[in-house]
Amino acid sequence: MSRVELLNPTDHGSLRFDRTVVGPGQRIVQIGLSEIPLVAADMPVCLAKDATTGRFNLVALVGLVDPANLFVHDRRFHATYCPRALQLTAFRLDTGGVAGLAIDPSDPAIGAAGDPLFEDGQPTPLAAGIAAALEHLVADIGAARDLVDGYAAQRLIRPLHLVLQTEDGHDHVIDGLYTIGTETLAQLADDAVLRLHRSGALASATLLSASLAQVERLCQLHAARGGQRLHITRLAHDDGLSGF
Amino acid sequence: MSNAEGPQGAVETVIVVGGGSAGWLAACRLAARSVRNGSKIKVLLVESATVPSVGVGEGTWPTMRNTLRKIGIDETTFIRSCDAALKQGARFVGWTDGSAGDAYYHPLNPPAGAGEVDLAPYWLGLAAAEAQAGAGGDSSFADWVDYQAALCDAGLAPKTITAPEYGGQANYAYHLDAGKFATLLREHAVASLGVEHVVGDVVSVNQADNGDIRSVVLADGRILAGDLFVDCSGFAALLIGGVYKVPFRSCRDILFADRALAMQVPYQGEDDPIACHTISTAQDAGWIWDIGLWTRRGVGHVYSSAYISDDEAEAALRRYVGPASDALPLRKIAFEAGHRERFWQNNCVAIGLSAGFLEPLEASALMLIETSLDALVDRLPQTRSTMDAIARQFNETFDHHWQRIIEFLKLHYVITQRRDTAFWRDNAAAASMPAGLQERLDLWTHHSPAAQDFAHAREVFSWPSYQYVLHGMRFGSRYRGQPATADAGLVASLVARNDRIRDELVRKMPRHRDLLRAVREHGLQRV
Repeated sequence: MSRVELLNPTDHGSLRFDRTVVGPGQRIVQIGLSEIPLVAADMPVCLAKDATTGRFNLVALVGLVDPANLFVHDRRFHATYCPRALQLTAFRLDTGGVAGLAIDPSDPAIGAAGDPLFEDGQPTPLAAGIAAALEHLVADIGAARDLVDGYAAQRLIRPLHLVLQTEDGHDHVIDGLYTIGTETLAQLADDAVLRLHRSGALASATLLSASLAQVERLCQLHAARGGQRLHITRLAHDDGLSGF
Repeated sequence: MSNAEGPQGAVETVIVVGGGSAGWLAACRLAARSVRNGSKIKVLLVESATVPSVGVGEGTWPTMRNTLRKIGIDETTFIRSCDAALKQGARFVGWTDGSAGDAYYHPLNPPAGAGEVDLAPYWLGLAAAEAQAGAGGDSSFADWVDYQAALCDAGLAPKTITAPEYGGQANYAYHLDAGKFATLLREHAVASLGVEHVVGDVVSVNQADNGDIRSVVLADGRILAGDLFVDCSGFAALLIGGVYKVPFRSCRDILFADRALAMQVPYQGEDDPIACHTISTAQDAGWIWDIGLWTRRGVGHVYSSAYISDDEAEAALRRYVGPASDALPLRKIAFEAGHRERFWQNNCVAIGLSAGFLEPLEASALMLIETSLDALVDRLPQTRSTMDAIARQFNETFDHHWQRIIEFLKLHYVITQRRDTAFWRDNAAAASMPAGLQERLDLWTHHSPAAQDFAHAREVFSWPSYQYVLHGMRFGSRYRGQPATADAGLVASLVARNDRIRDELVRKMPRHRDLLRAVREHGLQRV
């Protein structure tokens, strides 16, 4: 059970942070603009809507049919790149706490192993480093949101239809994900394409589309864990509007 | 420049007369079609600076979502600009027998299994078995075949902020501020669709020898020539009535209401719930509508002046609203229920109040405008020579639609068990029944309303609406589904699925006001 508290030496003076430990439960994780090429080397980069605002967030897909991170084994993340948000799940920015932090002591990265957050009741440089990393991540996520808002304004975003079939014939529909509509992108006017290119958004759009090939890698990781083999029966964006 | 007289008689300029919801919807639909298919039809709308819009039609049908999409207005802009709220159907209070707790829903979702299996006979069988066993039978028809009534009861929205624009987990329409709607349409028509906006009073027309309108003449002397004229001049019916004298066919002998009192009621608190359905409460000589917008409620009393005085009607309305109504002004609207004998005459087509008006019991006003525009725009005559054939089709279609709407509205009054006032007694009398309705009611006593009972493929009120009203009002249907038949298993699974969806949506859907707030703050995504 998540329990976020303002960081303080009285309650947290003996706690340590093991930055190599990653929790097992997340299926998607929000990423920042600068992370796109790094994440795309390992996992699909998609868009998902924020439950409160409905706005699109840039996310990495790290799990498929179960609410589990397929890159995590023995509490360690096995990939060339670990999204920053996964490394910082134990902390929140909060000006009321020491070093401007709040902490979730129940997070698996917090415990007796790793680097200390306090020494002699004083915060270590690690605490300030964590706060700086969080601030950087927030800004980077803001930049990602600007990028995605730009895609939305150009009407480039399409629902991603992802259907996986298990060996015994059951379909798993993974919904709630979105991607770039490549046909729509190809039909953009020249000046719009140039603007996208100059801003870097065109390259990012290409990376997002190409990263969908990593769904196959997730299927392989799923099978490697002893799960049923998964076959991709549908992986496409769609122009149709859902619902009534 | 008009071309309809030329050798080809091409329809190139359309003049819309009148700038309310009907006029601007017409201009937008025509111009959007022109933009989409590159037909370069010029659309010009002329409206009076002095004649105010009547502003009826604050409730829509789900069709409005398609209409707005076709016009190119995004849902977020629409909701923000028109103080719009979402509508999942109507709750009819006191219509069946007027007893305490008498209420039923007409939701916008079709019954589960529509097109696959008819659940109505099975619900009737269940209700009969429960009655026989002495059990109360607490499952209404709307609750048994659908989940939307539960969302309405709980004040929940039919969509979440993560749903795409114009899409949702349940079917929905809108409640809107009609004045703001006309403004939004006007701005969009002029800025985005190239509609030419002329402000002026039409005082006369120039006609060709065959009776076609060549041009309208404005009070300041300007002359606007066109090939097709759309009369959206409201009750004034400047062209269809004023020029062509097409007779008005009253249906006051069937639908008795001829007056409305409208009031705008502010919310008491800024977080007050907003009803996600229209509430229609039966009165001694009519009924009261109650709709929630983002900023206020719109409440009004529709009544027959033959049965109740204006003062009595006002007192009933103020009683309904409560003490909050004391300082609130009223707006009085007098109307004659009915419609033109023809809607399209020569090169003039009447859409909106100029075509006719019926009490807003099932929010048919804006829907009829949209349906008329679908018919007009989808088959816009390319030349004058094809216009008469299209006009004939249009007139036949809409005469049918008006008759069927009148009949459906009358159904609410006919199958009531209320006999407490002369208004209700006279409504149930055979003398006021439209031809055909009694025959259908006889049919529906023994057979479930089905698609075969409706002549047109695109009937405005089809069997789901009839089922919701007939069974909501506990009409004496005698047919029963047999629990041991092959379909019974499918019925049970549909009902169980409906129960699951209801439980899930009641847990996860946002409060209606919270959803509207989120749309206003964050907007909806297109996909």
